[in-house]
Amino acid sequence: MKINPRSHIPIYLQIAEGIREAVAAGVYLIDEPLPSLRALALEIQVNPNTVQRAYDELAREGLIYSKRGRGLFVAEQGEESAQSVAQQTIAEQAVQNAFQEGIRAGRAAGMTLKQLRSLFSASLDESTKQETKA
Amino acid sequence: MNPMNTTEPAIEIVGLTKLFGEELAVDNLSLSIERGSTFGLIGPNGAGKSTMIKMLMGILTPTSGSMRILGNDVELQPLQVKQRVGYVPDSHYMDRWMSVSEVIGYTRNAFAVWNEELCSNMLELFELNPKKKVKQLSKGMLVKLSLVLAVSHEPKVLLLDEPMAGLDPLAREEFLDGVLRNVCDREQTVIFSTHSLDDVQRLADTVGILYGGRMLVNSKVDELLATTKRIRATLANGQPPKQVPETTIWQEVQGREWLLTVSDFSNETLEQIKSEEGVDHVEVIDLGLEDLFKDYVRGRKVVS
Repeated sequence: MKINPRSHIPIYLQIAEGIREAVAAGVYLIDEPLPSLRALALEIQVNPNTVQRAYDELAREGLIYSKRGRGLFVAEQGEESAQSVAQQTIAEQAVQNAFQEGIRAGRAAGMTLKQLRSLFSASLDESTKQETKA
Repeated sequence: MNPMNTTEPAIEIVGLTKLFGEELAVDNLSLSIERGSTFGLIGPNGAGKSTMIKMLMGILTPTSGSMRILGNDVELQPLQVKQRVGYVPDSHYMDRWMSVSEVIGYTRNAFAVWNEELCSNMLELFELNPKKKVKQLSKGMLVKLSLVLAVSHEPKVLLLDEPMAGLDPLAREEFLDGVLRNVCDREQTVIFSTHSLDDVQRLADTVGILYGGRMLVNSKVDELLATTKRIRATLANGQPPKQVPETTIWQEVQGREWLLTVSDFSNETLEQIKSEEGVDHVEVIDLGLEDLFKDYVRGRKVVS
């Protein structure tokens, strides 16, 4: 799991996303234990309170459950819901990357952000037109 | 106050002021740090970070104000405080001719409790050879030895004064590992000062921004990232509105572009800005800790 401390995304959300991806990829299977707070905190070099927060978030989503004194496990519906969330974020990322590329091309051609914004809304309008036609 | 009361904060500072001659190094600072939290203290050079830590250790005497650590008054009960606090100073005064094991023996004598097992585990983790002389140790080794000395009497509070400054990336990672092990296994409260916002993101759950001897921010790192936002808008006539949100910490106008950073961001803040005359294309931008820190310092406004 890679943590980016420079990101504007809070570390606990980055950890939660990392676990979701790992569960979706089958790194941890249903009813299998997840790494302990201590193990994960030391592995990714992050405060254990922050890891705890990530696990709380995943438990709230129903992705993982805790057995008292025995740690945290992947819930039955965990794999499925992790897959859908992970797929969604992967799709979002792909779209954002495509946008970034467009923005770079525009900036390289000397366009202002305002021009880019109006180009983008023009493209959206175009798609809306086409979709309503179809 | 009952020192056994575990709900009281690990550190409680009230109205702390330190004058060096005419110069105000710490300015009426009040701060409370929860037990079990890891507090990252950031601020530009000369902000008062080291002065604050040295006063907590009783090395510097405050001009006014009071400090309690785990319920013990730092000035009135210095011995109790020293037994319960571990300290890694910004410079390491160890006799260059002593061996590592001699330094340890010397330090051990100053404490009522000494965990031999923890001490030798830490030496092993850091690959510190007890036979080596202090003068043979690299900067990284010296800092690691300093951490071993600071944690072996099992303190409940750990004070680290810019511990990772000047360490190479590998030594830094090993030091961080040592601190995290103590946080994980001993539920220590840790206060560390640093210039590295990456260290704050990794090690801290709470962050304090010190500037001009005052605490501009004291917040959970996650909450700070979630509630401090930058807003970009276009100003029709290049003039910002007379009414800016009360929570504005910094703003800048460049031509028709208006940038402002606000704390405690909410939809109302956004609506307020959108409703102003001549304000268009309002956009909300997430900030990383580094930009956020710069905006607080540039804005120099006390928000908490």
